[in-house]
Amino acid sequence: MEPAVLETENLVKVYGRGANRFDALKGLTLEIRRGESVAVIGKSGSGKSTLMHLMALLDRPSQGVVALNGRPVSELKNKEIHKLRNESFGFVFQQFFLNPNQTVLENVVLPLKIAGVAKRERNRRGMEALERLEMADKAKNKATDLSGGQKQRACIARALVTSPSVIFADEPTGNLDSNTSEVVEEILFGLQREQGITLVIVTHDDDLAAKCDRRIYLKDGEIVQAEEIHADSAGAPAQGTTGGEREDTSTGAHVAPAPQYPATEPWAAPADSDGPKHREEGTR
Amino acid sequence: MKATDVVTTALGNTMRSKARTILTVIAIFIGAFTLTLTSGLGVGINQYVDRALEGFGDQDQIYVQKIADQTETTSQGPQKYDPDEAASDGMFGGMPMLSEGDIETVRGIDGVESVDPTVFVSATYLEAQNGDQYRLTLGAPGQSGSLEYAAGESPARDADEITIPSTWLDALGYDDAEAAVGETVKVGMTNVVGEEQDFDATISGVTDEMISGAGADPVPSSSFNEKLYDYQVSGGPDDTPQAYIAATAVVPDLDQQNQVKTDLSDEGMLGMTFEDQLGAIRGVINAVTWVLNGFALIALLAAAFGIVNTLLMSVQERTREIGLMKSLGMSPGKIFGLFSSEAVLIGLIGSLIGVGGGVLVGTVANAALTGEGGALSSVAGLTLYGIAPVQLLGIVVLIMVIAFIAGTLPAARAARKDPIEALRYE
Repeated sequence: MEPAVLETENLVKVYGRGANRFDALKGLTLEIRRGESVAVIGKSGSGKSTLMHLMALLDRPSQGVVALNGRPVSELKNKEIHKLRNESFGFVFQQFFLNPNQTVLENVVLPLKIAGVAKRERNRRGMEALERLEMADKAKNKATDLSGGQKQRACIARALVTSPSVIFADEPTGNLDSNTSEVVEEILFGLQREQGITLVIVTHDDDLAAKCDRRIYLKDGEIVQAEEIHADSAGAPAQGTTGGEREDTSTGAHVAPAPQYPATEPWAAPADSDGPKHREEGTR
Repeated sequence: MKATDVVTTALGNTMRSKARTILTVIAIFIGAFTLTLTSGLGVGINQYVDRALEGFGDQDQIYVQKIADQTETTSQGPQKYDPDEAASDGMFGGMPMLSEGDIETVRGIDGVESVDPTVFVSATYLEAQNGDQYRLTLGAPGQSGSLEYAAGESPARDADEITIPSTWLDALGYDDAEAAVGETVKVGMTNVVGEEQDFDATISGVTDEMISGAGADPVPSSSFNEKLYDYQVSGGPDDTPQAYIAATAVVPDLDQQNQVKTDLSDEGMLGMTFEDQLGAIRGVINAVTWVLNGFALIALLAAAFGIVNTLLMSVQERTREIGLMKSLGMSPGKIFGLFSSEAVLIGLIGSLIGVGGGVLVGTVANAALTGEGGALSSVAGLTLYGIAPVQLLGIVVLIMVIAFIAGTLPAARAARKDPIEALRYE
């Protein structure tokens, strides 16, 4: 069995105090092994995004330990954590978060720019990542000129450009139609299979979750069900996913898309975003 | 992120919302432009004053005057008349005079090389070798050291030497300045009873007239001047007691000048260096300049708030971008650096255009006003606008510092943004 790349032990995250106290996570212990794909599933308020933020070192737990490659990171200095996140993690967001004023290539090389890589080198690596995603011909285009699927591929290229060991994907197909979703899923799982990149996907899309090696169901800040199927049976209808939680998440997702952003939104937010999936921390 | 990347990224960001950046730059421009004009005005006027007074004195000279004795001028009824004291302590048009004794006292002060009492010699004529006689007004010997010479040098202190202006060469019958040096002229004098006598003097140098007017008249050496003066006051029934309006003391060691001034003050005399006299004028000009600069600084202060406003909007708009950069591992310090660089860049662009525009307008206005046919062209040598490179650089740096300070609030706000909060898409 592969060693654990990410571990959490008794992870607790509390927002607010007194009457406003909200326990987003109530003592989570889990292990994500190198090269596997894990889906974190739960409805709004289940704590799945909080879990992802803690594992991605974007936030610090109220209690408990997060360990990367067997090494606890909670005690690390901020500076080291920034560096670790830059080098070890890639992020794919539902909203893409591409800078509309920059070219696709400039967007893709942003993590390298932050890491202080020289321009020539980062452009070379950026083009490499774009070629891998068959986006090289779009390198000089403005990010706004891309279709939804192309935007997400640009995002994946950006996540890939630092050669990370873990890619965190937050509803990576949430803004894509089903055909494009399949292409993007194929790319993500291809990276996992061929390059051994660990995938942590936060979703409430059951089709996407079903393709992962393992699923972790969260409800009210606790793991209600963790199950594992082997990679060779990925894609087959998963057993044991008929719990009530699963019903909730599947019916909660993909309701009629409601445009949430005015056209003037400066950030490249797509107009067809889903329901408010990240409201877990809404009570902060 | 590398420093160069921070700067280029900041530059790209300032160009993103062009209208807003341009408006903020205009505010900075107005401040920088005004500051460049007002400070340039101070430089120009000071340059004019320096030039106008050039040739009237040397650095090593201290101008000595008698300080009025306060007990004598108080209005406590009439003073008792004392013929001896009245002669040496006499007043000239209300000004206290230096007596021979005072001159000796000054001569005795440590550090004083020589003292020349200021005397007014009215020469009758100057006679050239060809026998022609010309009316003569003599310059003060003290200024000979700071004149501009077309040929030769200043008259030696103890020799019967004199300089002549270059404009006199033709009339005196010399081919050029070099030819005049070493030649002898006669200076005619008339004494108290109307007797005439002439004195030979060697031409030590030929002077060019300066903007201040110095060098337009022949200047004798100190001893020659005294010799002429002695004859001028001779022939009277009695030796008139000598009294002088002022004297010029030469103190070669500049470090000793302050001590000499203190000693003079102890002896009831006032000593002023040439710099002191200039300083009084400069003080007034600088005070006026700083009042004007104050207005420009107020404009800059207003512009600084423009920067704060612009960047706060920018931070608000780019919340997601900041969140993304932070989640990709950019430290709060670098985020701060990115936004404060934007502020400094806006300041730099505004100040460069403003300083450039100020120099251009100042120079053109100066040429139009003081040049040929300008409103102020009758004032010879007047400059209203001067360029001091160090000062201009100082203005640019000052504005960049102001811009940086203005940028700290928005930049700190950007640096504090929580990446999770920033990436939420509600």
